[in-house]
Amino acid sequence: MSTAAEEHPHEPGKAREAFRAITRDVSWVAEAPKPHKAWLVALGIALIMLGIGGLSIFVLVTTGIGVWGNSNTVGWAWDITNFVWWIGIGHAGTLISAVLFLTRQSWRVSINRAAEAMTIFAVMCALLFPLLHTGRPWFAWWMLPHPNDMGMWPQFRSPLMWDVFAVSTYATTSILFWYMGLVPDLATFRDRFAAKGDKLKAIIYGVLSLGWRGSARNWHRYERAYLILAGLATPLVFSVHSVVSFDFATSQLPGWHTTIFPPYFVAGAIFSGFAMVLTLMLPLRHLFNLQHIIKESHVEAMCKIMLATGMMVGLAYGTELFIAWYSGNLYEKFAFANRAFGPFWWAYFAMVSCNVLIPQAFWFKKIRQRPVIIFILCIFINIGMWFERFVIIATSLARSFLPSAWSYYTPTRWDVGLFVGTLGLFFTLFLLFFRYVPVIAMSEVKGAMPEAHAGGPKGEHK
Amino acid sequence: MATKHHDDTTHDAPATGDGELYGILAEYDTPGELVDAARKVRDAGYAEFDCYTPFPVHGIDEAMGIKRTILPLIVFGGGFTGLIGGVFLQWWMNAYNWPWNISGKPSWSIPANVPIAFEATILFSVFASFFGMWILNKLPQVWHPFFRSDRFARVTDDAFVLGIESKDRRFDAVATRKLLQDAGAIAVEDVYLDPDPKAKAMPKWIVAFVVASTAFALIPFALVAKARNSKASQPHIHIFADMDFQPKYKADTAMDLFADGRANRGEVSGTIARGHLKADDTFYRGLENGSWTLGFPKQLEINDALMKRGQNRFNIYCSACHGFDGRGSGTIPQRVAATGGAWQARNLVEAGGATVTMPNGQLFNTISNGFNTMMGYAAQLPHADRWAIVLYVRALQRSQNASLEDVPPDQRGSIR
Amino acid sequence: MSILQKTLHPDEKIKAGKIGSTLSKAGFGIAAVFLGLSIILTLMGSPTGGHESKWARFFHAYVIGWSYIFSISVAMLWIVMLHHLVRGRWLTAVRRICEAMAGAFPIIFIAGLGFIIPLLAGYKDLYYWAHPDAHNHELNHHLLHKLGWLSPNFFAVRYVIYGVGMSYLAWYFAKKSRQQDESGDPKISETLRIASAPAMILFSLLVSMVAFDILMSMAPKWYSTIYGVNFWGSACVGGFAALALIVLGIQRTGRLTRAINAEHYHDIGKWMFAFTFFWAYTAFSQFMLQWYGNMPEETHWYKYRMFGEWQWVSIAMLVGFWAFPFVFLLSRWTKRIVPALVFFSVWQLVFHWLDLYWNVMPSYQWQVAFHDGARIVAGPLTGNTAFHQVGFSPVDVTVWLGLVGVFLIGLGRNLTGNLIPTKDPTLPASLAHEVQ
Repeated sequence: MSTAAEEHPHEPGKAREAFRAITRDVSWVAEAPKPHKAWLVALGIALIMLGIGGLSIFVLVTTGIGVWGNSNTVGWAWDITNFVWWIGIGHAGTLISAVLFLTRQSWRVSINRAAEAMTIFAVMCALLFPLLHTGRPWFAWWMLPHPNDMGMWPQFRSPLMWDVFAVSTYATTSILFWYMGLVPDLATFRDRFAAKGDKLKAIIYGVLSLGWRGSARNWHRYERAYLILAGLATPLVFSVHSVVSFDFATSQLPGWHTTIFPPYFVAGAIFSGFAMVLTLMLPLRHLFNLQHIIKESHVEAMCKIMLATGMMVGLAYGTELFIAWYSGNLYEKFAFANRAFGPFWWAYFAMVSCNVLIPQAFWFKKIRQRPVIIFILCIFINIGMWFERFVIIATSLARSFLPSAWSYYTPTRWDVGLFVGTLGLFFTLFLLFFRYVPVIAMSEVKGAMPEAHAGGPKGEHK
Repeated sequence: MATKHHDDTTHDAPATGDGELYGILAEYDTPGELVDAARKVRDAGYAEFDCYTPFPVHGIDEAMGIKRTILPLIVFGGGFTGLIGGVFLQWWMNAYNWPWNISGKPSWSIPANVPIAFEATILFSVFASFFGMWILNKLPQVWHPFFRSDRFARVTDDAFVLGIESKDRRFDAVATRKLLQDAGAIAVEDVYLDPDPKAKAMPKWIVAFVVASTAFALIPFALVAKARNSKASQPHIHIFADMDFQPKYKADTAMDLFADGRANRGEVSGTIARGHLKADDTFYRGLENGSWTLGFPKQLEINDALMKRGQNRFNIYCSACHGFDGRGSGTIPQRVAATGGAWQARNLVEAGGATVTMPNGQLFNTISNGFNTMMGYAAQLPHADRWAIVLYVRALQRSQNASLEDVPPDQRGSIR
Repeated sequence: MSILQKTLHPDEKIKAGKIGSTLSKAGFGIAAVFLGLSIILTLMGSPTGGHESKWARFFHAYVIGWSYIFSISVAMLWIVMLHHLVRGRWLTAVRRICEAMAGAFPIIFIAGLGFIIPLLAGYKDLYYWAHPDAHNHELNHHLLHKLGWLSPNFFAVRYVIYGVGMSYLAWYFAKKSRQQDESGDPKISETLRIASAPAMILFSLLVSMVAFDILMSMAPKWYSTIYGVNFWGSACVGGFAALALIVLGIQRTGRLTRAINAEHYHDIGKWMFAFTFFWAYTAFSQFMLQWYGNMPEETHWYKYRMFGEWQWVSIAMLVGFWAFPFVFLLSRWTKRIVPALVFFSVWQLVFHWLDLYWNVMPSYQWQVAFHDGARIVAGPLTGNTAFHQVGFSPVDVTVWLGLVGVFLIGLGRNLTGNLIPTKDPTLPASLAHEVQ
């Protein structure tokens, strides 16, 4: 980043100009009196999609699960595929916030706010599916341990219960971590709106920012808490997707019951999550002129992470195939042959090409530097990861132990409608976030700039 | 270090309408200068001071002498609580209070209990970290006297400010200001409190808002409490009908399809309940080839036990009318006679009487179905018991019409 | 990006001097003494549980010891490659030492011939699939299809491939790193960064296959897809523990005393801590999933280790390899204060060995169970827990120590010239490194 301040870090006022520039560049999105036209159009589309989802939910809840394509054999299909897909997408946000923080990758500061928001919205979308697929979602509160007339307690030994705890812990932690990071920036908004004379917004942001005043004593504890939360969020993110993978791996179904699922799912989650982060950030970065904050090098780094996690997923595919042969288990061997050559071969083909072949493009620097191409590839990666979950769930169920139970699965319009609705929910929330909440972690970006060390003792700092 | 700095002459003396001096703010150009200034202030012995920056500045903690926070300990405590709590929750609910056999696995299955215990540990650690941090920081604190300074608003943007509060022991309006300026401040400002005590009070509308929203928030709980502790005469509302209203008929309800208006259609004639065939005529009805049986049913062993049973049953069910001796002077006929009535019970044992001459089967039938004013005892006495009574009655009849020759020789002496 | 920088102190001793050759000689001595002792004990019929072939125990211990030293080098190669891949900064000050540890691969694979050659020569009591019983249709019809894969010849061919592959990777990174000492060419860092990506892929394949071949095939009827990942996790715990001790040992000789400080110890300790947790995560995943699925073809492996004497080893692993170090390595002080770090490094090095022991040694008794007159007398499927004996033998430890000596030979041969990458562009940042 070449600013005047970088060239003359010790001239009075120059360092601070750089900080002011950050504040300005990020705040203008929320301070613009009228939203950008592109934003309005996008919001409109998102709301329509949300409406479709609302209708799908209404039909589902009033009529029943029969409106979906699920059957006795393929008891889980789009519902659980979508659940795992959304949770996976959420993981990138926590990874960017927590793991990149712990490994001191300071480039994370340009994207971590948006990524954390993405996590929260993705988890909200994900939660809809286990809730609705119960068929009687108004009884969902039975899953929480509470004294009741029936004298019953939840069955804690079930992976589905582990899901309840893991995902709700994840949602809670993500919200708290995100909010904590937001407080200093909300204080910035408070002060800016107050200076402008917009009393209402100043009060709203003032309350939300808890009266934050940048006190060094407060920063000390804040930083400690941030580090601790990052340290907690890291095992949490591993555990959440591992628990989700346990939904499958604890069963005895060939193709589901395999020990590599936990780390393989986590790697896949990070893979799809980063693809979604880029899908969101690339257009927004372009429309709102944030290229000097969300730099090309950051985008490149994300592409490399996708390549790495994509290769891990590929390694897991290979390991599963090898061990399926090695085990000599008839059902295991069949399950994998069936994936590639059975009735869902087209889904398997989509999965392999999108998850293994397409990310290979990221070996090439030329591709890593072209946002349009990256955007398209990321969409394919997300599609591929969706197909991975679908292949795992539907093919294994459709061709399980008893041939008499074999069947096929086709989604109904309500399956599709609900999925479209969650996409609409996600984009609606994200667009609202983008407009009203500081979309880049201003205080963190400032803290990572060279000017943050300006004026220090000579000789040690570059 | 920039040496150009100018005095801020905004508040050399309190302006009219200002309250007491709260403290002094000094702004510095770069984070490094602020750190140096903080060090100087700490070395000068000040304690009630703080630095205000848009981001955490490297090195400022040491310069100010900030002690390491105890937050990690709080988090550890939270995590430990979560772990113990998660483990206890699962043990108590699934292994102790209501043990549940799930696919034969032990109720207390540690591998299966690990994921939730882990998540509970993390959750409580997160709560401890998050809430612990805000509480230790004494936030939310939506207002601070330094907010009165316009310069202070720039702290969240690009300003690096050091503030010393007047309540510090070493505070002196002049000396402190000089210290701050000498440390390289580009601006120094006095901050005064608002003289109007009303300004310190919480605005009324905030209080009202908080009270109102708390009240509103309690409404759902109040409704629930009311519902759980009261009775209702109206049936509850079915938002989701589920299968609550089913178009089917239940037992003992009305139905207008049949003439008798009942949903119950009764047994189809000729239906015999399982175990109720009662094919054996002799045992069940005392008949043998259409006429009363003379003997006893084959399945009964005529022995002392059956006799004693018969005596026991006779004494319970028959003696009230027929008397213990069978002569018909039980307590009920005695009562009838004492009140001037004419009803008599049959003498079962008189020689030549109907009871003595009738076959066993007929006697059985009388016990089962009654005769004249005697009710049938089929409902109270199982078939075998009735046969036992028949046996006992025959014994009674013999004993009441016996001669000395019927008594065993060795007992003749005891009779008078 | 503003980074703290520092340069090497002019008085810093960075040359290896004689320590490399001294270490090699010491290693040779240790190897000779302990391996010799092992051979003597075996010939004397050391109490091992009454197996027909007394060498079986020796060879099982040899495979465990070999896997142990292999895993240390694996971990060090991994961190070197990762460091290049992500343009890391903190590791540079100790990276040459890591490269030296990874450079032990050739010696390690030569030492491994100590069990490969007997296998090729027809030794049947190490791997069950090399035993004639394996071809018995009645007993082992689930094994037959993989006996082409698990045959001594193909196995040995793959072993050579693993050896060549791992050695090449380690050699490449070390060689380029030393080239940079001379030329100071920053482009070398770029080259290594670009190379580290495909290197990681090759590395993952090789390490997974070594784990499947050398360790998992000890129980040829059992399988677990996460086995390779679990092995790598355990390897990294041991690797970082070893790195801490070796770094401290080198500093004891007066070298690199200023360049490497508590900040680096802290980070090495952090990696050890992180992998302790990661190992526990993969080990738990493997266990819990097979326990929960409750399928006999998988659970027999665990059942053997959950009852009888082996349950105590399992519990020791849970508490010793994970719980105890985890709780104490949470604190920053156990990682920064040298005696504490030494304690936990030694501790984890022992428990890493125990992990490999727990993985491999039960197969020794399994073989006994299966081969005893070709009848299944006792063993995992009979549930006879009286047979789940650890049958601990001193040969287990002496072989282990002997092979550690072999590792030291390899390490010593690589501790030459500069002990620190003097002209690496990230060195100044590494020297000034501060943990938050």
